[in-house]
Amino acid sequence: MDRIINDFTINIATANGTGSQSANLILLQSLFDMGVPVSGKNLFPSNISGLPTWYIVRLSDKGYQAPGDRTHIQVLVNPATWEEDLAALEPGSVVIWNSDTKKKTVERDDIISYPVPMSALARKINPKIAKLVTNIIYVGVLAELLGIDQACLESAVAKQFKGKATAVELNITALGLGRDYCKEHLTKEDAYAVEPRKVEKPQFFIEGNEAAALGAHYGGVQLLAWYPITPSSSLAEGIINYIPRLRTDDDGNATMAVIQAEDELAAAGMVLGAGWAGGRGMTATSGPGISLMQEFIGLAYFAEIPSVFWDVTRVGPSTGLPTRTQQSDIAMLYEGSHGDTQHIVLIPGTVEECFEYGWRAFDYAERFQTPIFGMSDLDLGMNRWACEGFTYPDQPMDRGKVVREQDVFEAFETFGRYLDVDGDGIPYRTLPGSGMAPILYRGTGHNPMGVYSEKPEDYYNLMQRLRMKIDNARDELPAPILREEEECEVGIVFLGSMENSIQEIDDILEETGLKVSQCRVRALPFHSEVEAFVRRHETVIVLEINRDGQLYGILRRELPNDLVTKVHSVAYSDGMPPRARIYAERILETLEEVKQ
Amino acid sequence: MSDKPARAIKLNVLNEPKDSYTGGPSSLCPGCGHDQISNVIITAAWENGIEPHRIAKMSGIGCSSKTPAYYLGQSHGFNTVHGRMPSVTTGAYAINKDLLYLGVSGDGDSASIGIGQLIHAIRRNMDMVYIVENNGVYGLTKGQYSATADVGSKKKKGPANETQPIDLCALAINLGCTFVARSFSGSKKQLTSLLKAAMSHKGFALIDVISPCVTFNNNDESMRSYGYVKENEVTLHMADYIPHFNPVEEIEVPEGHYRDITLHDGSTIRLETISAEHDPGDAMAALTALHEAETDKKHVTGLLYFDASKPSLAEDLGLVEEPLLDVPDEVLRPDKASLDALNAEFLS
Repeated sequence: MDRIINDFTINIATANGTGSQSANLILLQSLFDMGVPVSGKNLFPSNISGLPTWYIVRLSDKGYQAPGDRTHIQVLVNPATWEEDLAALEPGSVVIWNSDTKKKTVERDDIISYPVPMSALARKINPKIAKLVTNIIYVGVLAELLGIDQACLESAVAKQFKGKATAVELNITALGLGRDYCKEHLTKEDAYAVEPRKVEKPQFFIEGNEAAALGAHYGGVQLLAWYPITPSSSLAEGIINYIPRLRTDDDGNATMAVIQAEDELAAAGMVLGAGWAGGRGMTATSGPGISLMQEFIGLAYFAEIPSVFWDVTRVGPSTGLPTRTQQSDIAMLYEGSHGDTQHIVLIPGTVEECFEYGWRAFDYAERFQTPIFGMSDLDLGMNRWACEGFTYPDQPMDRGKVVREQDVFEAFETFGRYLDVDGDGIPYRTLPGSGMAPILYRGTGHNPMGVYSEKPEDYYNLMQRLRMKIDNARDELPAPILREEEECEVGIVFLGSMENSIQEIDDILEETGLKVSQCRVRALPFHSEVEAFVRRHETVIVLEINRDGQLYGILRRELPNDLVTKVHSVAYSDGMPPRARIYAERILETLEEVKQ
Repeated sequence: MSDKPARAIKLNVLNEPKDSYTGGPSSLCPGCGHDQISNVIITAAWENGIEPHRIAKMSGIGCSSKTPAYYLGQSHGFNTVHGRMPSVTTGAYAINKDLLYLGVSGDGDSASIGIGQLIHAIRRNMDMVYIVENNGVYGLTKGQYSATADVGSKKKKGPANETQPIDLCALAINLGCTFVARSFSGSKKQLTSLLKAAMSHKGFALIDVISPCVTFNNNDESMRSYGYVKENEVTLHMADYIPHFNPVEEIEVPEGHYRDITLHDGSTIRLETISAEHDPGDAMAALTALHEAETDKKHVTGLLYFDASKPSLAEDLGLVEEPLLDVPDEVLRPDKASLDALNAEFLS
């Protein structure tokens, strides 16, 4: 039998709250430390304990990071989904199952079955915590079956239980029990194996939310105002966790404030207050929180208050699927709040970009005096991704057009808070407490001097200037990442975490003889290169993880008329991280329809 | 120098004339209680000798929230959104804790749409003065009852209000608010003393001011009309404010009983007993006074409750001494070595 090396998917079915996440992360980390290109997806329920959880580990020498099309190795520990998980397996699949599970067995002769008395083995170590230990036993079994390096496993355990010697020892013992059971009682019948790979550049694993949190610190965030919500809480908590190390002086005093607000409305209000006062304020939330913040978002746009909002998106509408991923807040962010608005949205697709936009967001907010959104998603934010390291900001903090000194202030012929002195739509501001040009900021109509006005020309001119200001920002925002084919037949425009599936989609399409170019949008409003990309290609597909094709809608509206007809939407979402084949097939279907 | 003989202009302790504290002309209805409160704000800030540009005028939405345009023209202000002034103020405070935050709100803004934010600002003991200009009706939308309208009170049009009101002072006392007062826009002297004291307080200072709406709620059947409040005000005590920069000896000592309360900046509020003595340190007594007044369909005014012992938000935040606004960019952004160290650790 030919061995199948580093190219298969393991699905681990457990119950939430049983410690399976630690076991799964140890498995993932040990593979990663062997140099095997690997990705992990945690499909967890909106629950603390008891509901089913699946963890998908995909090994791929090609570097594919999307969940694969099928499961090759199934670990069955959760009786609640036993039959369902078993039935879903294709013939030839492998099942590693806890044979101590009451009333459950595996009776399929078309699959390879490895029964392991996981509960009994776990009880040997400590009956009181047998349930927790059960999970690490299957990691031991997998290690033995697949050939995972023991040193990598042990260092992964040490990383997972940093400094907790007892936990490290207990888990290593349990791994050993799993391995030994496998050696003594099971005969390897499957073809799957792991082989170490030499990694060109050293990498580490990190979640997008932690990367964005670190980025915020390197942006000098001064106020974090937040309200807990999945999947963004770990972004806020990431910021909090690094304050002692990065933002505290020798006396233990911090250079930033954290306020857990009473709700998302208040969190947004605090962010605006911080921006108004001259500071760098941010919040981290998800779609439902952004829904609640709409009123303040309009105020920030209209009164021109620098403010930063991170939206780690999840599945909507309403409470939706709170622990699943989607790109469905694009339209809401871009045009947030009532009235005519337009907002700058930064869209990271990698953990490096989460970090970079974490600090850049503040520079954009202060430069353009407007709300800035970071749009990440659950997949990017809460799963671990390979990273070569973060790059220190290459420029000093951009504090924008703030007049801080009296002599600078006096050099203005006329000073008006909303006066477009430079013709770029960005006015100058003075700060509360400075004594210079005090005004009453307001969400009502105002003239260039900042005084209440209902005059038609004041309103009209103000709205035109605001549009120009955001429009001018386009080419100062991150440009799209282009990977173009010479043919320029089909171009795919996509965004965010789809980055992690696009190469596999591209390869599946190429198998059919279709060569496609890629354009990953990294900010809204669209960079001018996006339009140029569309112009260069015969047919353009806008690929996104939602139902309605929100990015497509925005692109269609903003493109010149002659380009609109060549742009088509492929939008799909079922709550799962994007599986390449589903999107590839839909692209092919759409192209077929276009031809007709 | 002008040839005309110099007119004597009264100056405050900063040598500033009162004009330095005024604002634009009011667009409220003539006779509105809110305009009287604006004048009190001007007087209190001037007499307290606060640099006008070191005050931040904060408000929400409504007739009351428009008033920051009518006082303290040298101060920055933020007329925010309906009921959300406390959160904006909290965020601004986190960045610049050295400003005096003077919030003005109304009964719709504070007792309905914004009651949650009011409650949480109190809970944090956010360092600010919070004036509620309370008339029992929504003025800008033409006279609907608000959540503070008294049972049995009848506005100019429509039936009497039968819904239980929310007493913001009772609410604040129950929440542990550190400075709770009620006053009347027509009681200029008392209101001025209370406001000056509130400005000297470190923590959340709530002043609920009955401020009649002359257009929609000033008829005789209204329990928030000028006539009714004048007839039915129960004053807990006369209040005098003695600023920290004035020697106490210069103040006339009242003949009867009085109680001096020292405020955070060293100023004093002197409460002269009228009939029964009220102890502002006694929350139960304050709640009893409020309850009795409500039962008798009266309005009790004065410093209801005071507590100097609780830490304010600034102490809870654990920040560096200078306002965050003044922390240099190079300090706000951690240095490159710190990121190099993190990258190295992640890779190890």
